[in-house]
Amino acid sequence: MNKNKAKGAIRPKQAREGFFGKFGYFWARALTNFKQNLFVSMVTVATITLALLLTSLFLLVYVNLQGMAEGWSEKVQITAYFDKEPTPLAAAALRTRVEAIPGTKKVRYVSQEEAVQRFRKRLKGQESLLEGITADVLPSSFEITLDRDHRDGAELDRYVKALKKVAGIGEVQYGEEWVKRFNTFMNFVRIVGAVLGTFLALAVLFIVSNTIKLTVYARKEELEVLGLVGATRFFMKAPFLIEGVLQGALGAVLSLALLTGCYYLFLNNAGNFLSVNPAAYGILFLPPAYLAAIFGGGVFLGFFGSLASLRRFITI
Amino acid sequence: MIQLHHVHLSYPGESTALSDVSLRISKGDFVFLTGPSGAGKSTLLKLLYADLKPTRGQVLIDGQNLAMLSKSQIPYLRRSIGVVFQDYKLLPTRTVLENVAITLEVLGWGKREIGQKVYQVLKRMGIADKVNAYPPRLSGGEQQRVALARALVNDPKILIADEPTGNLDDANKEEILSIFKEANVRGTTVVVATHDRRVIENSHRRVIRLEKGHVVEVVDEQK
Ligand SMILES: Nc1ncnc2c1ncn2[C@@H]1O[C@H](COP(=O)(O)OP(=O)(O)OP(=O)(O)O)[C@@H](O)[C@H]1O
Ligand SMILES: [Mg+2]
Repeated sequence: MNKNKAKGAIRPKQAREGFFGKFGYFWARALTNFKQNLFVSMVTVATITLALLLTSLFLLVYVNLQGMAEGWSEKVQITAYFDKEPTPLAAAALRTRVEAIPGTKKVRYVSQEEAVQRFRKRLKGQESLLEGITADVLPSSFEITLDRDHRDGAELDRYVKALKKVAGIGEVQYGEEWVKRFNTFMNFVRIVGAVLGTFLALAVLFIVSNTIKLTVYARKEELEVLGLVGATRFFMKAPFLIEGVLQGALGAVLSLALLTGCYYLFLNNAGNFLSVNPAAYGILFLPPAYLAAIFGGGVFLGFFGSLASLRRFITI
Repeated sequence: MIQLHHVHLSYPGESTALSDVSLRISKGDFVFLTGPSGAGKSTLLKLLYADLKPTRGQVLIDGQNLAMLSKSQIPYLRRSIGVVFQDYKLLPTRTVLENVAITLEVLGWGKREIGQKVYQVLKRMGIADKVNAYPPRLSGGEQQRVALARALVNDPKILIADEPTGNLDDANKEEILSIFKEANVRGTTVVVATHDRRVIENSHRRVIRLEKGHVVEVVDEQK
């Protein structure tokens, strides 16, 4: 049956019935609801704040671990030794061929002199051991840094194979075991984070929808009357949804404020004495995209929390 | 305007509240629905504003079969029907103005237009001075008028009132009835459920008598 063709019993829609015509009304109702149920509203906001704060602290840890991993794997290099000492010209030719292998980021030539110097540094205090050792004992080499997506697993193996095929390249050293393990650990952290995050979101959705249910319950009579005088489902729901979004946004802003506070009070300086970070540049704050996502998460929780709690009360 | 064809209604788990009710109320009519307590008066009224669906049979309003209405169309039906409930259903924490305004807010009216229209209607009801009062502070008669104002403020095609003179004194009954008559003169079809004999006898209108869910008598008492 066509809505527009409904007979006289149906009063036609009027010009101002669109969402924007009523937005002022919805907004005013939402604010009134919020004020009249201040306590329950604040409980909802606090729940959302807490949940988002937990999430963002977790993200902060994650982002920093990720940053460290990045820093370390930047150093993962392949050291390629030559069959025999190349002339500078031959070395240059080799470099071009190595650079042509897909995945190469940087190639650095380490001369025999440099190799010996490094060796000396490492044996500081025991220089006597090095007496008589000349530069030609240690071979020169290429130190190769790889593109990000070639740094582990099959990609790395493929790269090394290609490298070994280059004529003039002899022994190839690569892939420190602990870096691989660290990457595995990061994957683990990601999975645990996703699982915990999902559970946290569900729990918060449940709590929020139940606290919002209290405010809806307090307005049961009003909803009944609205239904009887011809309010549409949307008209009845909209103020509650706006209220939910407001609570979510407020919770998000609060949690981000708390996070920023925590960061500047404690974490920012922690890096210096914890020295987990070799670069000692302190702990990173969340990038803007994460902050936006947290805000979005708050709005999402508020909106769907309200929506879930309304389903039982508005049956029109 | 209103037609019922062989309407049956039983509440889940209860005995039948209405059985084989057929009746026809024309546009512009003023009809009393009467009968003993439990006869099914309120139930019949609820069918008209689609608060209940008949178990069997058909209810037509303005030619529209209510069984064919989707859930999302029901609000639009209700906007053309003003209802005065047996228990008024006024919101205690809202002023008289806000209570009456609800009917117009739902239609998307602007604040100023609502204020003007509500004031007009309250004046018609003789309670314009109570515009900012809260319902619990009003007398029974005044509350009744607020409920009436809410039902009439958007000039509905049909006015339904369930026991509107319940616990009012004679003077108040008279005034409420004259408001009904005035609305009727303006073209609104009026259906009033009451078991107040005096009200019925004094008005000389059509009377439909229900007993145990059956229509037992229809009296056309023209003035
Ligand atoms: N929600 C309900 N659930 C179950 N049974 C109901 C419900 N409402 C009414 N009834 C039953 O339906 C029958 C008719 O009730 P109804 O309220 O229509 O009577 P009424 O004529 O309005 O009575 P009164 O004059 O006392 O208001 C009664 O037997 C009542 O018990
Ligand atoms: Mg009744």
